[in-house]
Order: sequence, then C-alpha cells, then structure tokens
Amino acid sequence: MSLLSVRDLQAGYGKVEVLFNGHIEVEPGELVGIVGPNGAGKSTFLGAMAGSVKPSSGCIEFEGVSIRGKKPEDIVRLGLALVPEGRAIFTDLTVNENLLLGLTGRRDKSGSAKALAEATELFPVLSTHRDQQAGLLSGGQQQQLAIARALVCEPKLLMLDEPSLGLSPTVIQDVFSVLNKIQELGTAIIVVEQRAHLIMSIASRTLVMREGQVRATLTREDAKDETKLAAAYFGTGSDSE
Amino acid sequence: MIQTILDALSYGGLYGLAALGIGLVFGVMRLVNFAHGELIAIGAYLFIITVDLGLPISILIAVTGTAILALLMELSVFKRLRLAGPSVLLIASFGVSIFLQRLYEIIFGALPLSGQIAPWMSGVIEFGNTTITRGSILTIVLALALLAGMRFLIENTTLGLQIRAASSDFQTARLLGVRSNYVIGAAFVFSGVLAAAVAFVLVTQRGSVDPLFGVNITILALVGTVIGGLGSLQGAALGGFAVGMTISLLNSFLGNYRVYTYTWLFILVIIVLLIKPSGLISNKAFKERA
Repeated sequence: MSLLSVRDLQAGYGKVEVLFNGHIEVEPGELVGIVGPNGAGKSTFLGAMAGSVKPSSGCIEFEGVSIRGKKPEDIVRLGLALVPEGRAIFTDLTVNENLLLGLTGRRDKSGSAKALAEATELFPVLSTHRDQQAGLLSGGQQQQLAIARALVCEPKLLMLDEPSLGLSPTVIQDVFSVLNKIQELGTAIIVVEQRAHLIMSIASRTLVMREGQVRATLTREDAKDETKLAAAYFGTGSDSE
Repeated sequence: MIQTILDALSYGGLYGLAALGIGLVFGVMRLVNFAHGELIAIGAYLFIITVDLGLPISILIAVTGTAILALLMELSVFKRLRLAGPSVLLIASFGVSIFLQRLYEIIFGALPLSGQIAPWMSGVIEFGNTTITRGSILTIVLALALLAGMRFLIENTTLGLQIRAASSDFQTARLLGVRSNYVIGAAFVFSGVLAAAVAFVLVTQRGSVDPLFGVNITILALVGTVIGGLGSLQGAALGGFAVGMTISLLNSFLGNYRVYTYTWLFILVIIVLLIKPSGLISNKAFKERA
C-alpha cells in the first residue's frame, strides 16, 4: 500500500480552479520531486493535500484513509506535514518558540523532547540561535528552521514547497543534503522545486506539472536527457503520460 | 496633582483592559468586535443583579457569564463566517451588538438598573494633607494584575504561544496543528473575562447599568487598539492605556472646557496616525484565516 495516493484531484481558490488533474503516489521513505513552471499549480497541489486549499473533487488517501476535506490541523496529526513556500516562520517569535509550535501536531506528546533534540541535531545552527528572534536569522537558517519545525512532529511524509527559493547556491546545497538525511531516517518527502536538475538528481521520481495538470513522470536517468526534460517542462513534443 | 496622576493611570488601565479584550479577538480573527461593549454591559448587569449574593459569588457569576456570552457570540455567529472577509465580520459584529442591546432592553428594561457594588471602592484615603480616591488605586491594582496575568498567559503558556502564532499567521499555525476553533474560542473567552473586569470598575463608578452601558468605552478602546497598532496585543493594551490616560488628563486640564475633551483626543489621534499610520507597535502580518 502506498503511503500517499492521490487521484484526479481538482482544487482552487473560490471559483478559480488552479489544479485540474493532480495525481501522485508516494511509497514510505520515498523522495518524490515536483517541477514545473510558475503557475503550474504546484503549490495548490501541495496545499490541497495538506488541507490548506479546499479540493473540489478527486481522491486523497493517506495510509489508505481518505483525508480529502480534512482540516490542516487534523492532517498534520496524521503525519502529513507541509513546509509552505516562503518559509512562513513566525518572525516575531524566537527560534525555540517556533520549534515548540511544531510540537502541536504531534500525536503522542511523550517523545517531544527527543524529537526537538533530533531536529536540532540535523540543524546545529538552530541550537546556537535558540533564543534569538527568528526574523533575525538568515534566509538559509530560516528555511532550516521551517524544516526542523515540521520535523518535530515526526511526520511520515514531509512536503516542501520550493525550499531553495531566495537562497544562495551553497546554502541550497546544505538544505538539500539534509533532505537526504531526513529520507535516510525513514521519512518520505515531496519537494516542489523550480530547479529541476537539483531535485531530479536526488528524487526517485519527479512529476512535471503544467497548466494545473501532472503531465509527465521522469526518472533519475531522464535528468541527464535534456530534450526529454525540456519536452516535459515546456510541452514541446508529446507528453509521456 | 497626585489625584490627577492616579486618575489618569486608573483610566489608562481600564481602557487598556478594554482594548486588550478587543485586540485579542482581532489578533486571531481579524474581527473588530463592536459587540465587545455588550459583553461589558452583560458583565455590569450580572454584577448588579447578583449584588445581594456577596461580592465573591457576584464576581464568579459575572465573569463566568460574560465569558460564556463571548463564547456564544463566536459559536453562534462568527464561527459561521470563518471564510468571510474582515468587512463582513465587522458588519456582523454591529448586528450582534445591536441585537444584544435590544435584548437587554427587553430583559432588563431601557431604564438604568442601579445597585451598589463593592461600596468600599468609593471613598478616600488620606495621606497627610492630600486625599486620594480608593477607587483609582484599586483600579490601577486590578488593571496591573490582569495585564500581568494576561501577559504571563500569552508569553509563557502553550495556549499563549498558539494564540501569538495564530495572530501573526493563522494559515501556517494551522499547518503546524494549531486548532483554529480552540484558539479563537480561547481568545473570545479571555476577551469576555477582560470585559467583566472593565464592567466591574465601571459599575462601581457609575452605580447603574443600561443597555448602552459598554458602547462608549468600546469605541474609545477601539481607537486605542488602532493607535497601538492593530494585531499587536502589546500595542492594543498600550494604545488603550494611552487613550484612557489622555481622556483623564484632558478632563482635568480643560476644567470647564471639558466638553472639548474628545475633540482634543481625536486631534491627537489624527496626529499620531499621520505620523505612524500603522500604529505605535505595528504588526505586518495580515493573512487570511479560513
């Protein structure tokens, strides 16, 4: 059984539909990428799965149970966490308070201290800035905080919306190397990225979205094939699905 | 002179409590709750109706009753408007406000209901050749205690942390597992408790309550929350304090010209907002809560 199984998902804002055909399968511990141009519906897709965007039709099953239409605060408790685009940390709160908020979505509160320790172990910079106001962190540190904050609830599936946004290349490398570590710890990950090559090199599969639809699925090998990637990305040539 | 300062501080404290009650709900919901005045009014009614039961029981009933009405407001009206914008919420709160005013009129009558609550609040204390009113001292103590209590609750508890997070970015707070209904409900309950405290002070001063009892202070406290910076709890309390203090000082200094108190108050408000349009302590977070 897949950890996450989504079929024919449609979602949007008010009367404006943005996502017309979202589908994805994620196995436990798998890292799946989603790429596509601006406005392709990637963030809406993640939002619909996390419960922050209302799906209008389709099917979302997490561990075999339908979660479509559930509230975000309930979905995170099931083990599906989203780090939204632009990091969305609480800049007025301290680093520690941000992390403590991440504990809200835990099912069992007993492992809280251990989870906090593990998250700061992955991102040592956070423990040195513990009592600092989160808004004073650098962009890369803020992204690390956002990921750590989602990890302390020990999700089974972590979804990241453009973690590289606004970060310098070296910082991006740091963030992405941590993704590998998180995956090794057994957490499945979905990463939405504009930088297709970056994500395709670490993901087992990468979905290409365009105009609100998942148009193609690329493997790691496909990343080396520029024409195949360009075709899927820009819609030149025929789609692979 | 001492009395003038104490009056100013006690007025400031009182308006600070009212503004904080409004600011709490605004923070988590972006709702400017005009019906906060009717929470203050019901608190005052409950104090006067239960006066014969003794003060401790009276306080218990008034505080609980006001908090319950606050929660009922949320559950019966505002909860259904979660997806609506701030302007719809504002108009809805006008509706709740007018509805409750008429309801009080039907239940308690349009004429003021009087009763003497905590008579020891009135009277004076003498220090050598200066006398000060007991009420002003006790109001300052009550306001300080409640503001300190609220501060502790907001800064040092998990619920407080969730309220702060929900106030700055509700969507993200929910993604982390913060339960929207719980946090919003809690904010309403706290605003009810604060309204009851305001009601207590006002009713000891005035000795009577009528259906429009809470309207005036609510409008002025709203001005305070705007001056302090909408969305910041510290700002709300501070802004309310500033407005209350200014009213009290203007009343003292203007003497026979005190009819112009509000004219001068709003001139000052305009000046403050011209210089700092976002309020003294601004909060840039203004995100949707659905």
